[in-house]
Amino acid sequence: MGNRAEEDYNFVFKVVLIGESGVGKTNLLSRFTRNEFSHDSRTTIGVEFSTRTVMLGTAAVKAQIWDTAGLERYRAITSAYYRGAVGALLVFDLTKHQTYAVVERWLKELYDHAEATIVVMLVGNKSDLQQAREVPTEEARMFAENNGLLFLETSALDSTNVELAFETVLKEIFTKVSKQRQNSSRTNAITLGSAQAGQELGPGQKRACCISL
Amino acid sequence: MVVQAKKRELKEAQRRRRQLEERCRLEESIGNAVLTWNNEILPNWETMWCSRKVRDLWWQGIPPSVRGKVWSLAIGNELNITHELFDICLARAKERWRSFSTGGSEAENEDAGFSAADREASLELIKLDISRTFPNLCIFQQGGPYHDMLHSILGAYTCYRPDVGYVQGMSFIAAVLILNLDSADAFIAFSNLLNKPCQMAFFRVDHGLMLTYFAAFEVFFEENLPKLFAHFKKNNLTPDIYLIDWIFTLYSKSLPLDLACRIWDVFCRDGEGFLFRTALGILKLFEDILTKMDFIHIAQFLTRLPDDLPSEEVFASIATIQMQSRNRKWAQVLTALQKDSRDTEKGSPSLRH
Repeated sequence: MGNRAEEDYNFVFKVVLIGESGVGKTNLLSRFTRNEFSHDSRTTIGVEFSTRTVMLGTAAVKAQIWDTAGLERYRAITSAYYRGAVGALLVFDLTKHQTYAVVERWLKELYDHAEATIVVMLVGNKSDLQQAREVPTEEARMFAENNGLLFLETSALDSTNVELAFETVLKEIFTKVSKQRQNSSRTNAITLGSAQAGQELGPGQKRACCISL
Repeated sequence: MVVQAKKRELKEAQRRRRQLEERCRLEESIGNAVLTWNNEILPNWETMWCSRKVRDLWWQGIPPSVRGKVWSLAIGNELNITHELFDICLARAKERWRSFSTGGSEAENEDAGFSAADREASLELIKLDISRTFPNLCIFQQGGPYHDMLHSILGAYTCYRPDVGYVQGMSFIAAVLILNLDSADAFIAFSNLLNKPCQMAFFRVDHGLMLTYFAAFEVFFEENLPKLFAHFKKNNLTPDIYLIDWIFTLYSKSLPLDLACRIWDVFCRDGEGFLFRTALGILKLFEDILTKMDFIHIAQFLTRLPDDLPSEEVFASIATIQMQSRNRKWAQVLTALQKDSRDTEKGSPSLRH
């Protein structure tokens, strides 16, 4: 999987980052899209955006990532941002059990507002802080398995698994999309996604498919 | 080569001289403005604050040395908060911090409806957010000179208004006030500022009312920038995407601090309508490039504005924005929309025009 020129892509996948405040969503995103980490990043209010285009086989996939604020009170607003998402990283801080304890609530919120077929990965972040760990890997892995989620532990600080986490989610979406395309090629009815995620492209750009699963 | 180098040197010297002159001029005009504010305006606040002359001077930016005083006067103290009340709220907040850190009982939680867990979460969140408030200034972080003060004001507020509690975005507002006022006065300004209708709607996350604010904003958006408005519509770019951050933090997170303070100056003078006028000023300033962007690029751009925005250009752009729509001002448009949404809630069809 490699990088491609930002504007040359075949697919746009909308992916949301969700989870409690302070678990490191913004840093996971900046690590993935800019290879940056900030010890003193600012509180996210509302939603922030980043993109990165990656190659999956011969297809260029542009990940359009929505980094949402974790505050409970904001949820009324931010949950609207799940619409049209085909992937989600549900992040908790493995050094703070409380952020893991509420994962189920986040999941419900996500399924309430997003498509049922959305690809979800449970991400235990801050794996560099092993001595402060409060959530055992096996416990989180079991939960993920029982709920049909992908699972990884990451460290935005030392980069461990960050690429892998995003890439795994994008690949999984891509596989689903490819299957759907095969099935629908017979009926010639590819579903083009909502306008929000699949914007009009300028001249010279490839026609991008924004597929809803 | 030598000649060229000399030429360059000369040019550089000229540039530096011009810069210095510019700075001297600026400092002189600030110095003069300070005198005017201190000797003429502040002693005669009630009669002078809405005069043409003061309004003009105000628009140019309040000198930092009198800024806090002017903000306090302009925000007012409708809530009649005294320094003593601040001390009481702060003492209660400290009591609570102690009881949580020693694992105190729930029996003492007299405010119904708010569990100990909620409060604890809110205290945790304040702690977390303080370190994420203007991190590059390095004064609010643990060990920094204003860390405790920011903590105190936010903590005191959660005791003063347990029904509102701590909401992200507040730390930025309190921090800007702390930079300009002493703690008790900062608390008074903070509480009164948050009590204004627009801020209450947002910090209570009253979704319906927030949508009404966005709708009112769109009325003026379409009026002032029809082309860009159509482009945003076509790309499904709704105002909440960028306005939430701007309004919650009163621009202090998204604009350079000195520019944000100037926005606050006029916000204190003109009220909430100016926050939305500022948004339109920013959109207008970048209209040309925004019309060439697609959804994700616009969203990215507006949620992370260039960090070298020149104040003068922004203000020149804001000045061209008309807050009049079919002879109706901001407040009238907002009231009409509020009435509409109330009518819709009741189920009676309202006549829209």
